[in-house]
Parts: sequence; C-alpha cells; structure tokens
Amino acid sequence: MALSVSNLLVTDDLTIFLGLIAGTVFLLRTFYRPQPLVHPILLGRQSEVARVRNPGESAVYRNYGTGLMNRFPIRPHKDVQVLSDLLRPDQDSQRTLWNTKISNAALQDRVASFGTGILRLAGLRSQESNVLILLNDCIEFLIADLALSSHSIPSMTLTAPHLLSPILDTHPPSAIITQAEFLPTLLELIYDAGEEGKHHTIIVVGEPSHSVMASVASKVKILVWADVEREGFKVEKIMSPLPKPADVFSVSFFSDSNGQIQGTQLTHANVTAGVAAIHALFPVSSMLSTLDTIISSHSLGGTYGRAVAYTALFEGASFATMTSSKLFRIDEVTVKQDVADILSAQLHAIPSATILFLKPSHLETLVDAILREAKKSFLLNAFAWRHKIADIAEGFVSKDTLWDRLVYDGARARVIGEGAGTVRTVIVGEGLLPAKVVMPARVALSCPVINALTHPAVVGPVLATNALDLQNFTKLEESANHSLALVGPPTVSIEAKLLGVDDTAIEEGGEDPTGTLNVRGPPVTRLLAGDEMDTSASGYVNVHAGESAVDEDAWTNLGVRIKVHTNGSFRVVA
Amino acid sequence: MAINIGSPCNTALLLFILYSVQKIVFPSASPPKEIPHEFRNGYSWLPKYHQPTVLFKTYTPKTLEPFHGNDNGRILLAIDGTVFDVTAGRNFYGPNGMYGNFAGRDASRGMAKQSFDAEMLTPVDQPLDKLTDLQPDEIENMKGWIEHFSNKYIICGKLVENDAV
Repeated sequence: MALSVSNLLVTDDLTIFLGLIAGTVFLLRTFYRPQPLVHPILLGRQSEVARVRNPGESAVYRNYGTGLMNRFPIRPHKDVQVLSDLLRPDQDSQRTLWNTKISNAALQDRVASFGTGILRLAGLRSQESNVLILLNDCIEFLIADLALSSHSIPSMTLTAPHLLSPILDTHPPSAIITQAEFLPTLLELIYDAGEEGKHHTIIVVGEPSHSVMASVASKVKILVWADVEREGFKVEKIMSPLPKPADVFSVSFFSDSNGQIQGTQLTHANVTAGVAAIHALFPVSSMLSTLDTIISSHSLGGTYGRAVAYTALFEGASFATMTSSKLFRIDEVTVKQDVADILSAQLHAIPSATILFLKPSHLETLVDAILREAKKSFLLNAFAWRHKIADIAEGFVSKDTLWDRLVYDGARARVIGEGAGTVRTVIVGEGLLPAKVVMPARVALSCPVINALTHPAVVGPVLATNALDLQNFTKLEESANHSLALVGPPTVSIEAKLLGVDDTAIEEGGEDPTGTLNVRGPPVTRLLAGDEMDTSASGYVNVHAGESAVDEDAWTNLGVRIKVHTNGSFRVVA
Repeated sequence: MAINIGSPCNTALLLFILYSVQKIVFPSASPPKEIPHEFRNGYSWLPKYHQPTVLFKTYTPKTLEPFHGNDNGRILLAIDGTVFDVTAGRNFYGPNGMYGNFAGRDASRGMAKQSFDAEMLTPVDQPLDKLTDLQPDEIENMKGWIEHFSNKYIICGKLVENDAV
C-alpha cells in the first residue's frame, strides 16, 4: 500500500510547472474580477421611505441621497436665483449652440438687446403682456425666453402643433414670435379666427418672403428679428426690476392623456430645481462640464426639453436638438425617431456629442443597429456578447475593454459615425422604455444608460435610475410579466407617493405597493386651474407674472400607475 | 524530461487549469435563477421586504388603551390629539418605566403640568380632557413636548372621542 500511495503522489518538474500555472490562473480568476461601478449595497436602498403612511396611500418616498429630513436642492449653485443667472458670468469659454459659437457674455448681450428691442418696437409692457413663442428649437428660442423672463413678460409655449388654434382662441397673446417658414400658416390661422379690431404683432426669425409680406393684413404688424435685435443694440438697454424666483415666467401647454389641453406655469424656481435635478443624475466621477456636448430630442416647448437646454446653458456645454423635436413644420411629414434623427443633431456645427437625451424609440433603433453591425463578425461577437454580459452581471461596464476594441467600437462607428467614441452617457425620457431593451443597450453602448420618467407638468425628470446601476432583473420581469423597464427612485428634489394602494396587501407584507403616482417638490409646476382652460369663449384669461401662491401641501397627480420594489426603485406598470 | 501527464498530481493540476481557463474564456452569461436577497449573494439583488411603515389610524381612548406595552406589544401615547408610537422608548414608557402611566393613554395634561401622577389621566370611557384650565405656560410646555416627541418618535395616528368613529 505504501508503494501505491507514493506512486500516486509522485511529482516531477512538470508538476511544479503545472502548479505554477494553476496558481496563476486561480489568482487571476479570484482577484481579477471586474469591480462593480457602484457597490450593490447602495442599490438595495435607493429611496428613503417615510415611517408612516395614510390609509389608501403608500409611504412618501424620497431619493436616498436627499433623505427625509433635508431640504430639497432648488438650485444648482447658490447664486442661481432666476433664469438669467443660469448664464454664468464667470464662464467665458465659447460653446456652440446649434450653429452659433457664442460665449455667455455675448449671449447675455444678445438677450439684453432683444429684450430692449421687443419692448420698444412691439410695445410690450412688463407684467401685462404675454408672448407666444412658436419657434422650433434654435438659439432665438433661448434668447427670447431669457429676454422675456428678465422683463417679467410671461411667455407661452406649446408641446404640439395642434394646440395652436385652441390657444390662440383662449389665450390671445400680445405678440407672437415665429419662423419665416411658418408665417403663412400662422397668418392663415389669425385671419380664420377673424376677430375684428384685434391687432397682432408678429416677430419673424429669418427673412419672410416678399409675397407673404405683401399679403399681410393691416391689423397685423410684422417685425423681423434681426431688426428688433439691432434696435435694442443701438439704444440704451431698458432695465426692468429683477424677477423673483417664485414668479411665473412661462406657461407650457400640453394635452394630457385624456386629450384635454392643460397649461402649466413655470416659475424660475421650477427651472433652477429642474437643472439641479438633471445635474444630480450624473455621478461625481463624470459630472457635466464645459467639455460636454449635449444633444436632445425633447422640444424646448415642453418642460423637460427646457430643463435639458438650460442645463446645457448652465454647464457651458454645447447643445443642439434633433429634427424630430421641430414642432412647427409646413410639410405634413412626421420625422421617424430613429438613428438618422440622432445623426441629424450632429449636422449642426457642434463638436462630437457626449451626452444624448433620447426618447425610447431612438434608443431601440440605435441599439438594434449597433448589435446588427456587431453580429457581422459572427464568432468574435459571440464571445464579446458573452463577456460583456458576464461583466455586467458583476456590475461593471466600460468602453475600453478588449471586446469593445475588437467588435463594438467598430459597430458603433459604422452606425453613429466618427463621433461614436465620445458618447459617454445616454438618458432616456419622454416615453416608456421596454424592459427587454435595457441589457442590449448596456452592451451596445457600454456607457451609463439612465431611464427617466418625465411628465409635462414637471421641469426635469421625475424618477431616474442611478447612472451606474447595472442590475439585471429579467427573470423577475418575465415571471411577473413586467414589460417596462425600471425607472429608478425619485430624483433629488422630488418626493413621491402612490395613491390607491391595497392596504391589506401591504400590511401582510408580501406585495409591492402599486398605485397612481403623485409628486411634490420644487420642480413640480402648478397647473392652470381646470376651469380656466374650459372657457374658450368667455373672455381673456390673463396669465399674471406675479407671486404665485404655492400651496405647500399640494400633491400633483401625474396619472401614471407605478409599482415600487423593495429596493426603492419604481417601475411603470400598465 | 518525458511529458508524463499520466501521474495523478499532474492530471489533477491539468484538469484544474483547463477548468479555470474554460471559465475565463466562456463566462456564464445567464442570470441567476433566483433573485438573491443579500448583496453578498449577487449583484442583482433585491431586499426581501419593504421598509416597514406604520398605517396612520384614528384612535379613540378605548382603542388606544390596549397599546400599553404590558404584553410586549406596541406602546402608543397621545398628546393633544396626536398619537405617537413610543415602542422605541420602552424603558421610559413600558410597564416598568418611569412614565409607564402614560402608555396607551392621553398624556396631554401630564405633559403640560410636567407630572406623571395617575390623576393627570382621564378614564378611557369618559370624554377627552379639554385642557381648558391650563395656563399659557403649561400649554407652551405641552407644545414643547409635542416637538420633542415628533422628532424622536413616529406620529402614527390621531385621537378622537369614543363616539366619533
């Protein structure tokens, strides 16, 4: 027996060699695992939950970073009180907004000139007039918005073109700003409305054609934007008293899920809080800076699009929007929200895009295209996909891995073009993202993909996932039949609760609370009262730019059905 | 040196190396069958239970009385119509605590007058103590106690008359 034992344990040089290799391989497997981008313990508690709840309601949830006791962040920086403060005077670098390379100081000058010009030429008066902005996203939109807000003249914006004629009827503006291409359509609408004796002032961006100018009726006064700016430039600037953060500077009209037209009043405080919320979406290691280029698919007429644009302004980043965000078109074409649309934003003179604010359909088509391109190198792609998924299962994703260099960088470059390497964060909003797109998106883009829930009544995102959250709950989603992706906890300045929850089920402890989402917080705007919208024939409803009495306890019902998971993240359920 | 992998040690080591290399080159790409309930057991984990929350209820003196904590249950007490869950302060308000008299009762008068005597409490079947004969400084004292309790304990209900429900 002793012989056979020593026979079993015979070692030679090969054993030592193999032993060294085995040791190396073992150490490699144990210690060379990818580190998760965010520790999973933090992902287990994403919301801070209140200890008490009212019957029929869930508890109040806040972002874990904000906590229940602290106040909400209402501005991205302590000096930002009103809208014009978002143009930081200490930032003097030039950045490109659409096609215009401009610095903050120059932009401030243009805003002041336009403000003075429009007050003089259009006869507007602070706090009494209101202006309807019918512009597609362009730098003139921002200049007009900033100028009007600094003179306390409320502006009105639309989120869809079919709202134009109802709003012209119910809220006739003192002046309208529009593009030259849209002018004939607008004139037609004004003539059709046919109110005798009502004078209209229209400020046109671009050069209106002579035929259109000839057809203008006597009651309509047309001003060209360039003239207004020049007028304001050469005279002494009119200074108005500084608006207060709680003043309403704009009303955004949207149609809700029932098709009813609603208007919501944006105050300066709403927008600064929205900018702070978007700023907080980015982790500390990759915050927004002047080196970023943001492209957005959300039109500036809506609250979310406005928040994104002002975030870009505040951070000093370059900014452009996509073709699908153009609301006012003369042709009846609906632009498909796909990869070509994303690339249309890059056609502006901006540097290569780093941050993309997309809608779910954009993301789906983009991810499909990238994965299709990647599948062309069949064998490598099989390995690459597997390794990427295994890394994500450990909580890690990066654009610098071997598989990116071999497979995905090439695929991304073929789809997005030269600038594919610079995209560093993608934020999905204004739509419902299907759950099955999430993992492929993480592999294809290899950068943080944030899913946010937005609503026309809230400036900025309402709920948003953690940027570094890579958790994969596909098994749970399949078994519970959830078709939509997680939207994460409330953002830093929102508190949320659900109405209409099943009390007994929650007390038993087994069920996730499911109910209608109600929110409260600095970025939540006040809706115009319902009955104001219904009166179309009776009289002129004036939107005052004054102190709007903020009801501290009022919750806004967003009408979305939400389920809360045990880790504090929310999910939209049908 | 002849390549003799036949010896058991070498075979074992070789198999181990092959197994590890296989795991490195072909990592597992399928999500785990069960969602783990601990972060140690997996990256994509969910806690087993939601954070416990208390339902805000309306109590009457009779329904509040059982929460005296003698049976190791919750301990509630009421001040000025607000019911607080003071289970965390079992040392004070439990059966053997200094202020044990207040458990399950309306402690408003006692808080105002800074007294823990039994005569500060009204019997449960009588109407609530209206507190009309209290001095302003006693009312101030009571409000200070409400502040203290709001910060330290959970507000979990309101107290109404026996026949109001």
